[in-house]
Amino acid sequence: MNHPTITTKPNYKTPSPQARKWKKGIRYTITYVLLIALALFMTGPFLWLLSVSLMPGRNVFSNPPAVFPTFINFGNYAQVWNFMNFPKYIMNTVIITVMGVVFNIILSCMTAYPLAVFRFKGRDMVFTLLIATMIIPSSTAMIVHYLTIQWLNLGNTYLGVVLPAAVSVFNIFLMRQTFLTIPTEIRDSGKMDGASELRIWWQLVLPLVKPGIAVIMLLEVMAFWNNFLWPIVVLDDPEKYPLASALTYLNGQFSYNFGWIAAGTIISVIPIIVVFLFTQRYYMEGLAGAVKG
Amino acid sequence: MKKWMRTETFAAWAFMAPGLLIVAVFVLWPIVYGLPLSLTDYSVIGETHYVGLDNYVTAFQDKSFLASLWNSMVYVLIVPIIQIISILMAILVNSRIPLIKAFRAAYYIPVVTSMVAVALMWSWLFSSNGVINYALIQLGAIQEQVGWLSSSSTALYVIMFITMWKGLGYYMMLYLAGLQSIPTDLYEASMIDGASRWQTIYRITIPLLRPHILFCTLISLMGAIRVFDEVFVLTNGKGGPGTATLTSSLYIYQKGLVQFNFGYASALGLIVSVIVGILSILVFRLNKKGGVQTY
Repeated sequence: MNHPTITTKPNYKTPSPQARKWKKGIRYTITYVLLIALALFMTGPFLWLLSVSLMPGRNVFSNPPAVFPTFINFGNYAQVWNFMNFPKYIMNTVIITVMGVVFNIILSCMTAYPLAVFRFKGRDMVFTLLIATMIIPSSTAMIVHYLTIQWLNLGNTYLGVVLPAAVSVFNIFLMRQTFLTIPTEIRDSGKMDGASELRIWWQLVLPLVKPGIAVIMLLEVMAFWNNFLWPIVVLDDPEKYPLASALTYLNGQFSYNFGWIAAGTIISVIPIIVVFLFTQRYYMEGLAGAVKG
Repeated sequence: MKKWMRTETFAAWAFMAPGLLIVAVFVLWPIVYGLPLSLTDYSVIGETHYVGLDNYVTAFQDKSFLASLWNSMVYVLIVPIIQIISILMAILVNSRIPLIKAFRAAYYIPVVTSMVAVALMWSWLFSSNGVINYALIQLGAIQEQVGWLSSSSTALYVIMFITMWKGLGYYMMLYLAGLQSIPTDLYEASMIDGASRWQTIYRITIPLLRPHILFCTLISLMGAIRVFDEVFVLTNGKGGPGTATLTSSLYIYQKGLVQFNFGYASALGLIVSVIVGILSILVFRLNKKGGVQTY
């Protein structure tokens, strides 16, 4: 008899293939049930808002609540579009966003480049200073920004809205991480050909850091598109407000007209959700990269 | 071109000048200028005088400010809750099953939308004849409609819930990046040793996520104390009912940019900054104490 114990002893560690299949199936089911429940929790409110915004007359307070659209009508959208002068607010938002994004890309690429590749006096000092500003919490920033913008005579201008966030230390570090991955030979070869530093940066190096630029672009598009408080503080004229600010303003004035505000809210979130869904790969990678950096 | 202009040092500073100028004016200057400003009675009206520590004395006798500080401390309760839920979410989405990327994106949608939209949406859901009350009454959890945002006992917690809901996807992605950096052979080894799923999470995942937990805790801590947008939108900038949802940032905003009391508002801001600093150091200490050191 060869090793009788092995054949008689029930083995719990390796169940039969069928049992294993069952177990795997149950595990899959549980995972998907959890995933779907969580998805409903995270996107349900948006879907509900979309649904009620498409049903003029029914409202947020109808009993039982209108969760699924029983009919679809774009009345709310048509009315709020004309009433609120949406094209104007969208234009304002686009101007602010484009200005903010362009400033951030150019300034963080310019500032980060020498920090990553040059050897120069004062480099460590700049570095320490930048890190210090990230650690020290500032709760007075908005008040001082307001005073600075008034002092620069930039009140009620888009430049005043954009300038305080024209470059962030975070973006500078993000770009520095990206520049560090560029081989030094690129710059050397440019120098051999007698190109100026500016030209090397613009023509040789920048095309290689496009992924980093894409990440900053995405982060800043979202930040500027969604920012509502600072524009309210700087802009005296509500006609100049971007969408998010206008929405707050309108909600204060026309909160009784729920359908319009709901439609306005949907109009304001759709562009950003679309941008996100189409660029999420870069976005998620950038986010992960930012933690490492 | 002069010779010194061709040096690397010159080129470096020329590249950095515009960006550093902005950083100096809008990042460094507020930090530096806050202190002298807080020692004056600078406002839109009247002459400005040096008032010494008067603003600080007033601050600690200001009932609204103390209430706002307390509310901000209560708000910090969301920090550990966010970490627990988002780590569990990250574990849930850390697999390669079909459609997983779509689910991750879905959880991230609240993060990218504006707080204005999110706050308005939830204010309707939480209104006294809104969907949430309807559902809870149907389920028999409550007998009559609750004024979630109009009652001072629930308003702050409702806003905390909204902050948490909007942020979960963000922290989930940060933790997911952390989970994906853990070598899989550690999990294989623990499976061979017969560890249960929960044991692996507790003994391997959590200790190795420590740096990420520190990072996320600090970010969410600062976010909790600086919370502003949602309170502003949901209470029309008032922090009501009463001072129930008045957070310190909102109060600083009211003093500084509504009543234009720049000096006093700066003093309040500096007090809050010091508290944030102390709390951050505490988090660092707690994170380093005991357990596996991974960094």
